[in-house]
Amino acid sequence: MDAQATILLGKAIGAGIAMIGAAGGGIGIGLAVGGAVQAMGRNPDHTPTIQTNMILGVAFAEAVAIYALVVSLIILFVL
Amino acid sequence: MNSFWNGKRRFIALLMFLAGVFVALRVPPVIPVIQLPGERYPAGYDLPLLGIRMTNTLAGGILAWVILILLVVYIARRRPKSSAEVPPGGFYNMFEALFEGLMGFVGNIAGGQHFRLIFNVFMTIFLIVLASNWLELVPGVDTIGFIEPHVKKEYNADTGEVEVVTTDGYEIYPSVVGYAVNGQCSWISPADEAAADEAAQLNAQVAEQTVRDQQVIDAAHARYDAAHGDGYDETDETAGEESTADDHADTADDHAADEAADDAEAMAAHDDILAAREAEKQARRDSGCYSGVGPVPWLDDGDDHSGDGDEAHAADEHHGVPLHPHPASEEAKLVPWVVLPFIRVPSTDLNMTLALALIAFVMIQYIGFKALGISYLGKFFAFGTLLKSPLGAIDVVVGLLELIGDFAKILSFSFRLLGNIFAGSILLFVMSFLIPILPWPFFILEFFVGVIQALVFALLTAIFMSLATVGHHHDEDHAEAH
Repeated sequence: MDAQATILLGKAIGAGIAMIGAAGGGIGIGLAVGGAVQAMGRNPDHTPTIQTNMILGVAFAEAVAIYALVVSLIILFVL
Repeated sequence: MNSFWNGKRRFIALLMFLAGVFVALRVPPVIPVIQLPGERYPAGYDLPLLGIRMTNTLAGGILAWVILILLVVYIARRRPKSSAEVPPGGFYNMFEALFEGLMGFVGNIAGGQHFRLIFNVFMTIFLIVLASNWLELVPGVDTIGFIEPHVKKEYNADTGEVEVVTTDGYEIYPSVVGYAVNGQCSWISPADEAAADEAAQLNAQVAEQTVRDQQVIDAAHARYDAAHGDGYDETDETAGEESTADDHADTADDHAADEAADDAEAMAAHDDILAAREAEKQARRDSGCYSGVGPVPWLDDGDDHSGDGDEAHAADEHHGVPLHPHPASEEAKLVPWVVLPFIRVPSTDLNMTLALALIAFVMIQYIGFKALGISYLGKFFAFGTLLKSPLGAIDVVVGLLELIGDFAKILSFSFRLLGNIFAGSILLFVMSFLIPILPWPFFILEFFVGVIQALVFALLTAIFMSLATVGHHHDEDHAEAH
């Protein structure tokens, strides 16, 4: 295997490993939305407030997954 | 809404859909290629001011600003001059409703003495980020642009020109945002070609050496057989006997002829491999694709497309040769081409998101100092309680952590926006590539992602700003009360 192929292999594996971090974001978003849906089911009157906060929370949880994505994108396209 | 799609508009939608189907079937699939930094405009398109290097994300940023200025002018014009005047309907009304909604929203979170400043910063950041994010939904953004050869170019500060890198042969970009136009030619970089050539040379030498080694072994066998008068070679009796016979027949002259034959055999093995390599290159050239070694056709004068491997000569020829052969010309068919978009979403450039993050960071510190004065620093360097009790060391550590956390905000702000929007643009690329007819569900998704990210960026700034105005006083009061 030549050097170029080795580098490509390393990049692909590294990017894949970096994306494991997205699992945390997924779990977080699942928990947040699950909780929000339950809350909305119990008090439908507060849906707008809950929804806004849920979206904010989801965005924060997603941000962590996005860091993983940025790292893997940097590995793939910049390094 | 129902009446909107009645009559002619329905047929326009149908026509657009059919055009999408036609284009998807007619145009061969193109490969999306991706680059993280904003692409540099070709030479001659740079901003004349301050020697700024024009990139397509900068162009996108300027476009976003123009849109915002138009918005401001429009809103200012439509705004009722007095409370007696009836506000106009339409877009102005919608904007006013959104504005007031956001004002109430931020008022709930960061209301109080500094609400005015916080809301100004919030709304500014929100609108800039929103305008930037939504640019990716505009048709033509990220897709219409300069047609560029798929090679690496560098900015020469001395001449002010963009030049193909010639110092270490040609290197191509690993990838460039846009679409590779020439999908049927797989691009092999000159570096790869040179490496393959080198490997072929090495293989040829190895093959030659193998043949020579074999000849030496054979000769040794022959001598042994001659000496012992009996073929010791059990596996290949006849071969052993033949060589024995040969050896017996050897005279001095025959020996020389034998050596020449051996030499020819070795050289044939050597040349066979090189010939195979040449044939491979020739096959690629015949298929209309550029074979990396030799003068690059579209940079050459155009008369010699065969490429005979004179790299130093080729390197010399590139200076001052135009980088933009006409895409319809013969040269253009030989290399993969990419679209360098005129405008790319500014939020996909780290420069833009980092600049916004720094503005947010500075505003957070500014409002902290404005509200608390110099005692704002006590939040980070909490040595005050250390004098009262040794447990104050905890406060010191917490303060330092907060200092680090404040700087980490820059990182998290800029990466959150960049990551979301860059990933969004790649998603749109890939989906347009996979399902050219129906990528619009993803455009709807990106519409919402754009709003949410703008809101999150602006809202976090507002929250951090309002937190900075509070300080740690209430904590101390709390502690003293106990």
